[in-house]
Amino acid sequence: MKLSIQHQESYSRGELLLRTFFGWLYILIPHGFLLMFVGLWGAILQFVAFWVILFTGRYPQSMFEFQVGLMKWNLRVSARMYNVSDGYPAFGVKSTDEYTDLDIPYPEKVSRGLMLLRLFFGIFYVYLPHMFILMFRAWFVGILTFLAWWVVLFTAKYPNFMFDWVTGQIRWQLRVSLYMMYMTDTYPPFTGDELAEEV
Amino acid sequence: MMDYHPLPQPDQIETRIKEDAMGAYFMMFATMAMGIPLPILNLVAAIIYYYVNRDKGKFVQFHTLQSLYSQIPVTLLNSGLVAWTIVNLVKDLDFTGFYWGYLVMVAAANLVYFVFSLVGAIRARKGLFYYFLFFGKLAYYQVYRIRPEGGQSVMRNKPPGP
Repeated sequence: MKLSIQHQESYSRGELLLRTFFGWLYILIPHGFLLMFVGLWGAILQFVAFWVILFTGRYPQSMFEFQVGLMKWNLRVSARMYNVSDGYPAFGVKSTDEYTDLDIPYPEKVSRGLMLLRLFFGIFYVYLPHMFILMFRAWFVGILTFLAWWVVLFTAKYPNFMFDWVTGQIRWQLRVSLYMMYMTDTYPPFTGDELAEEV
Repeated sequence: MMDYHPLPQPDQIETRIKEDAMGAYFMMFATMAMGIPLPILNLVAAIIYYYVNRDKGKFVQFHTLQSLYSQIPVTLLNSGLVAWTIVNLVKDLDFTGFYWGYLVMVAAANLVYFVFSLVGAIRARKGLFYYFLFFGKLAYYQVYRIRPEGGQSVMRNKPPGP
């Protein structure tokens, strides 16, 4: 999995203020409304994919691509809401973005045993340890996002280490989701950094 | 005599296309996936699946259309049962023998539909056709029929009448 969010040279202060005060109105409401319905469709396809994997050992490619498209859409919106990207996020599962990108290789085979393990025990060995750390990390990222807001407002630059923490949070959460959605058989690492094989 | 497009053979169909065709039959689980006891959701899911996938070729179009058509009577039967149950519960009416008879009939219809859909899904995954009673022929006719040239209506502007 390769998630990249471009660290811009400079950020627009006007857009930052606009997003802060009206982002809920012109980004969250329209995108959230559509994502709710598309997300429901995604849930149906995920349910279907589970049964298909159980019997064939393969994640149907079209359904996989749909889920990736949905994740990309969520990523575009998240990047704006965390203020790590400027511009307006594009609508749709097939749209692309100049600042964010997500590349998830299609697995030819999905382990059925591992899938059942995740279904029955995933909450214990995946969600519990990861969410425990992600929860604390999220508080810290929240504080960093608040501080970064002021830095961007005064300097138009997003500090490197803050940017890496925010991006890492999104990447980590996404890796957990990928694993629990049977889109990869690789257990998510306990880090938000890019792995050597992803670079 | 109606002409039809030739049918593709299993080795001519890509795996991805076979999977897309198979997915159509799983729309019967949409209600279950969403956890909302509204049978109409299965039909809505089947309609969405048809419109999303119909451009992927006639093989996919046939299976999605067959799945969609066969979903209609089952949805009507299930909706009738849900409505009847709700009315009985709200108005505190008795569950008569007629109700139980209808319930058993709906259960049987669902079971038959489930088995047929499962067979349809397995056949589609193998790149094969499977014709449901009536709906199979209807879907085949609609998808594979060769339409005569100029058969599609062309919209023309006309001058105003006298």
